[in-house]
Amino acid sequence: MTDDKDVLRDVWFGRIPTCFTLYQDEITEREAEPYYLLLPRISYLTLVTDKVKKHFQKVMRQEEVSEIWFEYEGTPLKWHYPIGLLFDLHASNTALPWSITVHFKNFPEKDLLHCHSKDVIEAHFMACIKEADALKHKSQVINEMQKKDHKQLWMGLQNDKFEQFWAINRKLMEYPPEDSGFRYIPFRIYQATTERPFIQKLFRPIASGGQLHTLGDLLKDACPSAITPEDGEQKTQVMIHGIEPMLETPIQWLSEHMSYPDNFLHISIIPRPTD
Amino acid sequence: MSGSMAGEEDFFLEEQRFKQYCEEFIKHSQQIGDGWEWRTSKDLGDGYLSKTHFQVRNRNIPPDLKEKNNDNVEQTLLTHVEEPLDDSQVPGVCATEEVIRYEYHVLYSSSYQVPVLYFRACFLDGRPLTLDEIWKSVHACYQAHLLEGPWDTITQQEHPLLGQPFFVLHPCRTNEFMSSILTGSRKQNRDTNYIILWLSTVGPVVGLNLPLSYAKLAPAQNTNADSI
Repeated sequence: MTDDKDVLRDVWFGRIPTCFTLYQDEITEREAEPYYLLLPRISYLTLVTDKVKKHFQKVMRQEEVSEIWFEYEGTPLKWHYPIGLLFDLHASNTALPWSITVHFKNFPEKDLLHCHSKDVIEAHFMACIKEADALKHKSQVINEMQKKDHKQLWMGLQNDKFEQFWAINRKLMEYPPEDSGFRYIPFRIYQATTERPFIQKLFRPIASGGQLHTLGDLLKDACPSAITPEDGEQKTQVMIHGIEPMLETPIQWLSEHMSYPDNFLHISIIPRPTD
Repeated sequence: MSGSMAGEEDFFLEEQRFKQYCEEFIKHSQQIGDGWEWRTSKDLGDGYLSKTHFQVRNRNIPPDLKEKNNDNVEQTLLTHVEEPLDDSQVPGVCATEEVIRYEYHVLYSSSYQVPVLYFRACFLDGRPLTLDEIWKSVHACYQAHLLEGPWDTITQQEHPLLGQPFFVLHPCRTNEFMSSILTGSRKQNRDTNYIILWLSTVGPVVGLNLPLSYAKLAPAQNTNADSI
């Protein structure tokens, strides 16, 4: 039986084999070869694609290059969503490697946030962590930490250092001994088919009678369409980090072990493949 | 960490109360024609306040209009804005790109239990303004406010209901400054509309002004008398 700590490592070290291809209308001086990379599920596109950018810029003229952006089958990919979430939501039931198209022109202003520097990614990442702690601990734990601790969370993510990250993050996963869990669970539920980008609401991990709420309880409350009736056909999959956790799993456990580094559970509801 | 925790719960805005204050706010806006409306999202029924207004940048005022007094100039230019601008029909009027469309949304954050102001601006051809360009249109005295203001920063974020990029005043310290404003009015036993107090504080910094008549719903606070 795997130890709970092994789950933390499996989540951290998850990778997606990806093939980056330059958009055909980009103007190049030579033919652009595709670039292959193993992307960390827990990171962000603009944080881990410096090599991709350099590779394609080599075959382009300087003046043709402005802010890089990524697209999958016509859909601009939101760099501020973790890579694993983007893959689960858009491409989990397609063949590997994941084929992403790279653009340097016509930035889609209406769809994507700008990402002019690593500072923007850091600010976004830290904002998510702070919001998660507002839900879990009324911001008490994050506010008690020093700036250097905040920095260590970011550096751990940026440099892929599991131990460095978790040395601080474990404090964000604790709760007072008199409680059985966090105040509210930080989560977001995504469905590619809706205009609303995600569902997020207040949800307590412990019921008034003291029982642990499950993933199924959360879905029933926040997204009932994801849970089909017993006699009906299960038309959707509920996916976190590329797997379908059992609906009976306590949500407190999922929050502690399968959150992304931003401390949120990012849950995808996707169509079940028919084969 | 801010001072005493006792009583701080009072200043967190619960979602039902948010909706009630917004309803009051909308009613008054309709009475005075201030253009705010309540929008609900189709699937889950949560909603937000929304206002769109157009602003003309003064740089290209045609010479013959300069003679008229200021009020008329703005009125004339704004009237032109309502019809599609066609350069061949109206020679000498501002080029399309000088008209800016501002959009303001007030959403509720369940994570921080406070309202949050989202905004964006674009030229009529759809080109969005950068944050820098928006700053330039903010009155100079509020530019200084921003540096000392009770908010970490203004960042570009995804609108949680529309999924599009907007600029946001970060909400995590809203409770701090609202506490001091509300304590005073609570002591005087006044029923205060949180939304009006809050919006009259944060709005002007990003070019959003509330006409003085809103003060009827929220008794005037000394600190904000200048801003509304």
